[in-house]
Amino acid sequence: MNTQKGKLWQRLRVGSQVLFIILFFFLLLKSGQAEISFLPFSGFFFYLDPLFLWVNICSGPLLHIFLLALIPFFLTLVFGRFFCGWICPFGALQQFFTWLGSRRKQSKIALSHKSLRWKYLLLIVLLVASLFATQWLGWLDPFSLLTRSSSVSLYPGLNFLAQHALQTGADSQTLAGKISKPLYDFSRQFLLTVKQRTFLQASAIGLIFIGLLLLNLYRRRFFCNYLCPLGALYGLLAKYSLFHLPLNQNCTSCGICANHCTYYGGPFKDYLKSECLVCLNCLNDCPFAAIDVRFGLPRAGQIPALAPQRRKILAAIGCGLAVAALPQIAVSKKMKGHPFIRPPGAVAEKDFLKKCVRCGACMQACPTNAIQPAVLQAGLEGLWTPIIIPVNGYCEYECYRCTQICPTHAIAKLTLAEKKQFKIGTAVINRSACYTYADGYNCAVCEEHCPVPGKAIKLREVEVNNFRGRVKMVKQVYVVPDLCIGCGICENVCPRTDAPAIAVKAEEEQRENPYG
Amino acid sequence: MPMKRRTFVKNGLLFSGALTLPSLLPAQVKSSGPLVAQVQGESPYEITKRAVAEIGGMGKIIGRGDVVMIKPNIGWNRTVEQAACTNPEVLRALIELVFTAGAKKVMVMDNTCHKAEDCYQRSGIEAMAKKAGAEVRYCDENRLVAHDFKGEYLGKWPVFRDFLEVDKFVNVPILKHHGSAGLTIAMKNLFGILGGNRGKLHRDMGENIADLAGNFTNHLVLVDAYRVLMRNGPVGGRLSDVELRRTVIASTHIMHAEVAAVVLFGKDPRQMEFLQAAFSRKMGEIEMAKIPFKSLTI
Repeated sequence: MNTQKGKLWQRLRVGSQVLFIILFFFLLLKSGQAEISFLPFSGFFFYLDPLFLWVNICSGPLLHIFLLALIPFFLTLVFGRFFCGWICPFGALQQFFTWLGSRRKQSKIALSHKSLRWKYLLLIVLLVASLFATQWLGWLDPFSLLTRSSSVSLYPGLNFLAQHALQTGADSQTLAGKISKPLYDFSRQFLLTVKQRTFLQASAIGLIFIGLLLLNLYRRRFFCNYLCPLGALYGLLAKYSLFHLPLNQNCTSCGICANHCTYYGGPFKDYLKSECLVCLNCLNDCPFAAIDVRFGLPRAGQIPALAPQRRKILAAIGCGLAVAALPQIAVSKKMKGHPFIRPPGAVAEKDFLKKCVRCGACMQACPTNAIQPAVLQAGLEGLWTPIIIPVNGYCEYECYRCTQICPTHAIAKLTLAEKKQFKIGTAVINRSACYTYADGYNCAVCEEHCPVPGKAIKLREVEVNNFRGRVKMVKQVYVVPDLCIGCGICENVCPRTDAPAIAVKAEEEQRENPYG
Repeated sequence: MPMKRRTFVKNGLLFSGALTLPSLLPAQVKSSGPLVAQVQGESPYEITKRAVAEIGGMGKIIGRGDVVMIKPNIGWNRTVEQAACTNPEVLRALIELVFTAGAKKVMVMDNTCHKAEDCYQRSGIEAMAKKAGAEVRYCDENRLVAHDFKGEYLGKWPVFRDFLEVDKFVNVPILKHHGSAGLTIAMKNLFGILGGNRGKLHRDMGENIADLAGNFTNHLVLVDAYRVLMRNGPVGGRLSDVELRRTVIASTHIMHAEVAAVVLFGKDPRQMEFLQAAFSRKMGEIEMAKIPFKSLTI
């Protein structure tokens, strides 16, 4: 193969990466705006993920669309880790930052090749831990990680910056204003949200994301080489793949092929099929066209050994067991309920933790910014699972987007009519804070907003001693628990500035009640 | 210098005489206020145009080159049939009239209760207003300014600049039931120009509404009562709570339009706290009989 061809392959690869990264962000952005019928399609990348197929098999019932994941699974046996090199959008971001890193002076501190085994151990830890009560793969799965980071941090952050930059410009009467005004109008229509979206742990999730990207400046494709559980799975398969890069007689043993190799190996020095991302940089780099692309059954001795040692595998299994067991012996497991509410349609908590992959797609789809990644509200094992924080956003009565977008059906598919009936909790009035009780004057903002037909919050005229000590007629608010669906708009609009005097609790939530 | 007894008596007589003078001329008082026109008919578009024509036409209100803000109620993520937001057909008629009268620019916006994008879309107002040539704006919190309403209860409060920077303001509410205020019409509709923690204004709501309406100029008020939400307002949602009334009310006098709308709904204006508060501020008459009123069906 000559260098010309090598350049072509490299360009094709970059083109494919750009295409898929655009597709990914298009789907993500659309999932926040598009018609509801579009939402199931926005899970495209999730359905191509064999780890999610595994999650689905473990938690059942099988969703047939996840069988799509078998396509990249089997193609890997032919083409090696092409998915990592050509398709994965998170991989593409890693590649981009790696490229940025290649332009600066390389650090001399090198990780040994052994570090490439980290990801296999991590995969074992996560898989073992996920065999029990909670599903852990979503923490590190590249699609979960990228979707979550983008919806919670990247997109709202860019929204903030764009909003402020363009707004300031568009308001001024200067030439800059005239230029930025159409740009602002365009972004307002297609990109920006009217209200800035806010998230729990936006900074933490954002910093992890930025950190993972910056690590590429230190080691090429850091996440893909050392952490990615999906990469590890593909690595195990790619070891036996038909694709390989043999050297021909032109090779002068110069070692240039390692110059841009993602795992610091290359066809000459350390050819590891399990680590090769089929980026084909080496074809481009080789000045002598000494590298061939061949497909064929690997001969014995051709499969290089980069398997973790047995005792490390045992240690990883042990870690997995600990990760599985420790959260299950917390006192919270004995409580009758829990101090948080989940989105409508969320399956019973026990099953929810097995199904939810913490991807945050629901958070992106939620138009009112109600769905938030849990910090520790749902326990350590519930980190980044979706909960509703009504003070930040209420569950819109006319919306059922989250029930349509959840790729693993941790939030079950509901129709709009079903969702309107689905009780996610009950509003409880704090009478020592509510103006109509504590201070004795009219308010009723919660009653106004209550969307339930016939109102779950009602008014009754009562004679009270108000805060001036005078006897007055006041319209006191009260909740009818059987009508309340727990949407939380009452908590959202309560005008008290310290803390809302009405709040939705998981009391009577439908998902834990088999008779509901 | 102390006032002479004679001057005091003379001034006192003159002053009390001047006060009693209007009551001696009841007929003149009645005809001096601007007319309230109530028009009933099949098409919300036609009755709107007719009602504006009845009170003297848009040309009297809008000048050539005016920048006009039309403020409907877009508060809720509800459809036209659910009658929680102003009828888009009514809005279309107004936008056309305002343009015909020579307005340079027409803007439509409201600070919504539900998520703005949802409300603008589902109410049908965004699409209709754009089609009619108006600029549809969202409330941008960066554009809030503290405005002093100088009322007894309502002083400084954040207002979206867009509402203050126009030549003419047209108030287009929908008539509907409201839990704490009783009814929400044009005066309560003005809450939509405010930002901040508006829920706080629900304490002494009637007084706040009157302060707001009394200290903000409405060049035209047109009450949409084509579909009326009779119960479970202001958000509503249940179609059985909606009655078809096929009526609009137009006036340049906000309180008088308000009184006529309360009567149309079937309530007593004197029972409405915000009208009592407006009456005590001498914003207008509270009795229907004292308001120049014209009702017709087309």
